[in-house]
Amino acid sequence: MTIVVRIAAWIGGLALVVATATNTLAVIGRRTGLPLHGAIEIVQVCVLIAGGIALVLATGWDAHARIRLILDRIGERPRAVGLRICAALAGVTFAALCVGSAWIASDLWRAHEMSEILGISWQPLRAFATAAMAVVAGLFLWSAVRPQR
Amino acid sequence: MIYANPVTGLVGLCVLFAMLIGGVPIGAALGLVGLVGLAVAIGPDAALIKGGVVVMDTLTRYELGTLPLFMLMAQLFFAANASRDLFDAAAKFFGHRRGGLAYASIAGCAGFGAVNGSSLATAATIGLVALPEMRKRGYSDALATGTVAAGGTLGQMLPPSGALIVFGIIAEQSIGKLFTATLIPGLSQMLFYCIVIWVLTRLRPGIAPPTERAGWPERWRALARIWDMIALISLVLGGIALGWFSPGEASSIGTAGALAIAAVRGRLSLAVLERAFTETLRTSGLIFLVIIGALIFSVFVSVTGLADAIGHIVTALGFGRIGTLLVMAVLLLLLGSVLDGLALMLLTTPILLPIIVHLGLSPIWFGIFIVRAMEIGFVHPPLGMNLYIIQGVARDVPIMRIFKGVLPFLASDLVHLLLIILFPAIAMWLPGVLGQ
Repeated sequence: MTIVVRIAAWIGGLALVVATATNTLAVIGRRTGLPLHGAIEIVQVCVLIAGGIALVLATGWDAHARIRLILDRIGERPRAVGLRICAALAGVTFAALCVGSAWIASDLWRAHEMSEILGISWQPLRAFATAAMAVVAGLFLWSAVRPQR
Repeated sequence: MIYANPVTGLVGLCVLFAMLIGGVPIGAALGLVGLVGLAVAIGPDAALIKGGVVVMDTLTRYELGTLPLFMLMAQLFFAANASRDLFDAAAKFFGHRRGGLAYASIAGCAGFGAVNGSSLATAATIGLVALPEMRKRGYSDALATGTVAAGGTLGQMLPPSGALIVFGIIAEQSIGKLFTATLIPGLSQMLFYCIVIWVLTRLRPGIAPPTERAGWPERWRALARIWDMIALISLVLGGIALGWFSPGEASSIGTAGALAIAAVRGRLSLAVLERAFTETLRTSGLIFLVIIGALIFSVFVSVTGLADAIGHIVTALGFGRIGTLLVMAVLLLLLGSVLDGLALMLLTTPILLPIIVHLGLSPIWFGIFIVRAMEIGFVHPPLGMNLYIIQGVARDVPIMRIFKGVLPFLASDLVHLLLIILFPAIAMWLPGVLGQ
């Protein structure tokens, strides 16, 4: 694993640990009369960070679920071509999702959206989600066109 | 809007099926067909914006955190050697009986399934521990491999089931209620497998010779190694069922407990943590992609009115409730022999769920039914993934022998599915009693 991938895995993993701690403290607080306000909003941010990184890592590792019924039964060359076409289609899907996500983010950029209790700004969150879609699209498209090793 | 009709939906469905069979990643195929379909039905701008909305809504969804957190809990338990300890404890209690190690494998699968939520991971992990032990003690290869392949499916039928979390998100149903509803079906499935083993070992005693009886001190020692895990699992599942906390909170409490257990056992290091994070994110990324794709696809299906059209046709056929459900079960089993479980669930839920609601059945019941049918696909030759996972563990056992070994369990699965159809209370009674 490269250092970038390891750092990404640690950031995503630590986001999950923060979500764990937040939810656990929220439950304990609720039972002891010391409620933790805004716990759900913190967990939402953690899920976004972990989820965005998870999508990127799973794409980089080619870990996405696919049905190999035909791919496993054809020759090496047609399989390589088939995998490139599949990657290109997946890349186009994510490019479209990235455009849609960026479109909404730009429309709402000046609206200064914030979470209700903690006032967390949604601008960086939308930017992060859009960036994650862009990286995933880029990874898929790169695996569709990269020279054969 | 002239193309927002059931024919567009049907065309989209056919294209999706072709793309899935062709090997396009499942989530991407669902997303692409959904986006292109929406572009055709309601216009490209609306389709792009809908895609963007689904991405942000999904990635900031509180309930979605449940999935990676339960996965992290499973990874930490795995690092703490849970699979071996659970199987060992079960083997110490049942191993001396005829077929005892097979019962222990089922119990190990149920125990590990209750921390894991994945059929493939349960089959692979318990297989690594149980198969060498059973084969060393003279168990027939067919019984040993069939038991673990079938037992692995308990991973998805017992909470916290990954498939039920995904179903809850895409069908917008309470994950806590789904977890409670699956308890009796999951436990009765386990009982059915035990009955199969009992019958097989009575008919052919040579396939599972009894082994030496472990003494009580040995049994207590084995139990002492798992009590903390059992207590945590009970707290997590009991807390959800009794409404003490939400599934999202339960997954956090489970992960916090698993961190503590791994630390107490001296199994928590930076390397272990990094491995747990990596594996959790890898699997979560796979499932998040599928969820995003499935949500976009289900919007497309709903816009075209395909589900309503199919619902009207089904009603017009006049099969009645049971007949319709049996047709659905056959359809799911047939599709399950060419599609993988997740694809099957995500492809069919947007179409079948409205029909189920139209028949007056609960979406919660449907969640249990579809996951049960999907699980049969995991042990259904020729594609059943669990069978190939087990072959990966026991490489010298021919796949045909594994097919043969799983057939009695598959027969019991079909009877079990039939019972769930005939008696929906198997799933719906417990949530009702607990006032969910």
